[in-house]
Amino acid sequence: MTARLFELMLKAAGYTVVISVASIGIGLLVGILVCAAKLSPRPWLRWPAGVFVSFFRGVPLLVQLLLIYNLLPAVGIVVPSVVAALVGLSLCTAAYQAENLRGGFASVPRGLLEAADMAGLSPWQQFRRIRAPIALRLTVPALVNEAILILKASSLVSVVGVIELTRTAQNLAASTYEPLLFYSVAGGLYLAINWIVAGGGALAERGLRRGRLA
Amino acid sequence: MSFDLAVVVAALPAILAGLQVTLGIWLAALALGIGLGFAVAALRHFGPGPLGLALRLAVEVLRGTPFLIQIFLLYFGGPFVGIRLDPVPAGLLGLSVYAAAYFSEIFRAGFVAVPRGHVEAAQCVGLSRAQIVRRILVPEMTMLVLPQCVNMAVILVKETAILSIIAVPEATAVISALGSQQYAFVESLFLLALIYWLLVEACGWAGRALERRLSKFRFA
Amino acid sequence: MTLPAPAIAIRRLCKSYGQTEVLHGIDLEIARGATTCLIGPSGSGKSTLLRCIAFLEEATSGTILVNGQPLGFEEQADGRRRRLPQARIREVRSGIGMVFQQFNLWPHMTALGNVTEALVTVQGLSRREAGERGMAQLRRVGLEARARHYPSELSGGQQQRVAIARALALEPKILLFDEPTASLDPELTGEVLNVMRDLGDEGMTMVVVTHEIGFAATVGQRIVFLDHGRVLLNGPPAELFAPPRHPRLTQFLETYLDRGAAMLLKPA
Repeated sequence: MTARLFELMLKAAGYTVVISVASIGIGLLVGILVCAAKLSPRPWLRWPAGVFVSFFRGVPLLVQLLLIYNLLPAVGIVVPSVVAALVGLSLCTAAYQAENLRGGFASVPRGLLEAADMAGLSPWQQFRRIRAPIALRLTVPALVNEAILILKASSLVSVVGVIELTRTAQNLAASTYEPLLFYSVAGGLYLAINWIVAGGGALAERGLRRGRLA
Repeated sequence: MSFDLAVVVAALPAILAGLQVTLGIWLAALALGIGLGFAVAALRHFGPGPLGLALRLAVEVLRGTPFLIQIFLLYFGGPFVGIRLDPVPAGLLGLSVYAAAYFSEIFRAGFVAVPRGHVEAAQCVGLSRAQIVRRILVPEMTMLVLPQCVNMAVILVKETAILSIIAVPEATAVISALGSQQYAFVESLFLLALIYWLLVEACGWAGRALERRLSKFRFA
Repeated sequence: MTLPAPAIAIRRLCKSYGQTEVLHGIDLEIARGATTCLIGPSGSGKSTLLRCIAFLEEATSGTILVNGQPLGFEEQADGRRRRLPQARIREVRSGIGMVFQQFNLWPHMTALGNVTEALVTVQGLSRREAGERGMAQLRRVGLEARARHYPSELSGGQQQRVAIARALALEPKILLFDEPTASLDPELTGEVLNVMRDLGDEGMTMVVVTHEIGFAATVGQRIVFLDHGRVLLNGPPAELFAPPRHPRLTQFLETYLDRGAAMLLKPA
């Protein structure tokens, strides 16, 4: 493989990272809303949130991507394929992140909130100062895990024509008749990015260690 | 956009055949993945050091790369090193190895999670190493890892859809092909989503039922 | 001469969980400036009673007056209970501090952060002022040097002393302790009990649910023995523990024998 082709692969890897980071970010925001709706006492909020989570966790991402890619034009929305890919990835990860957040909130020991209650904190202050910070810390490992899953899952957006790492490897493998080489390099790049993400996650967890549940 | 039921009815035999392939590959990969994964976990836990290291590396690579890349390597790269497989066996092999990597991690964590005291108590009453594994570690671990195993089974159902990309004639391939022939892509994809959703919900439901039945064996 | 009003007056207090009633009409007065120890077998309802006084549990019926003010509910002329507005509830509760069995320190805040949290967010003090007051409270429990440590970096005894400082920071009139030493290693209970003893000497009104019979007998001015959701005995320790003892109390002491209890049981 020439240096030029390798540079092409590296660029594609960068594109994969951009798509993944954007999806994780949008997914986190949507996930927070979905989680809030799921924890809401109002059934008309809780119920659709439940269906949302169940659907996006129960249907293969590939099918979701194909659906969104074909559904948007069918209802008259014409967008580039990368937008359809972003919508699909973000909604999928939002469903998982909503569940992670819900788990984090459920794991905050009741006693800590009783202590806040005794100290006179209002329900909103309890949420903002005690419940949310502890729950977010508890979900950091799950968030890192989700980031790695989405990075790998982003390979599927190649199917709807986004020229990211997997699609680039596919194109080069087809034109050079060297599938072993290009898929191995792509795999190595995915692995390297994942290790960096996992390492960063471990550092973040270490940084938060002093404030872990005693 | 209207849903034409006649299209679906006419294609029902093809859809059922695709579903059969999906279910068959899923269950076979599940069984192979669990068996192979358990062997890898046991070798890493009890086997010699260098072997453990090599297995660890393999598991890390399999868990760190997309399944799509793995299946491309096997299916398109395989013939260059003498592995010439049809789509179905290639898909089954790829999915099983992929599943084994994840299952091995689940089992390994399970081995570690069994309290040391339980093993020590067994040693005190004179159980042999093999007996401890068979009578203490494996049953206790099974209880501990059951939820993650169900979770993994659900992930595998969904991963079978990816096999459509290498032309395995499973549900996603059959139904989306049907959609493009009939110009009813959105309808057929909704049908497909519904099928997977039902499969996943059923799998989760069965897993929870199994957990409830086994919960009486759970240690405090 | 009129008797001073009790710090807490409890009338006909009942508490049920679903079908099971755990408190069957408790009548109890807690004296001001004294240490009252609630003892009794597990399941006797002593922790539930304490949590009702803290308004962490809402009693099913009956009233609690704290410093003469109704807590949570007010009995109306027709005998029906009316829930008080949230602001009134908060005002009455602000006079009560609580120390938990599991410490319940907030893990994401330092020791000082735990102590100053309510001073800043509830009382609206500046960080500097709250910090000074928080440090004073940590000094009071002997943990000034640990102010910047997180709960995960403190021993159980230190965590519980921080929890006491956190409760003290709000300058409560009444301090409630729910088995404050029950989750501590035996060698760490002393430091916590010493802090509590000092508070008692300073004249703090304290209600302590405890299994430390020795502590109850020496520091408690009043012992309340609960059994099956009722107040069975109520009196000064010298009276209660001296023979002839109530047979249920003797049975309880024999089961929960610790060093202090053994001393008490020895015939003089």
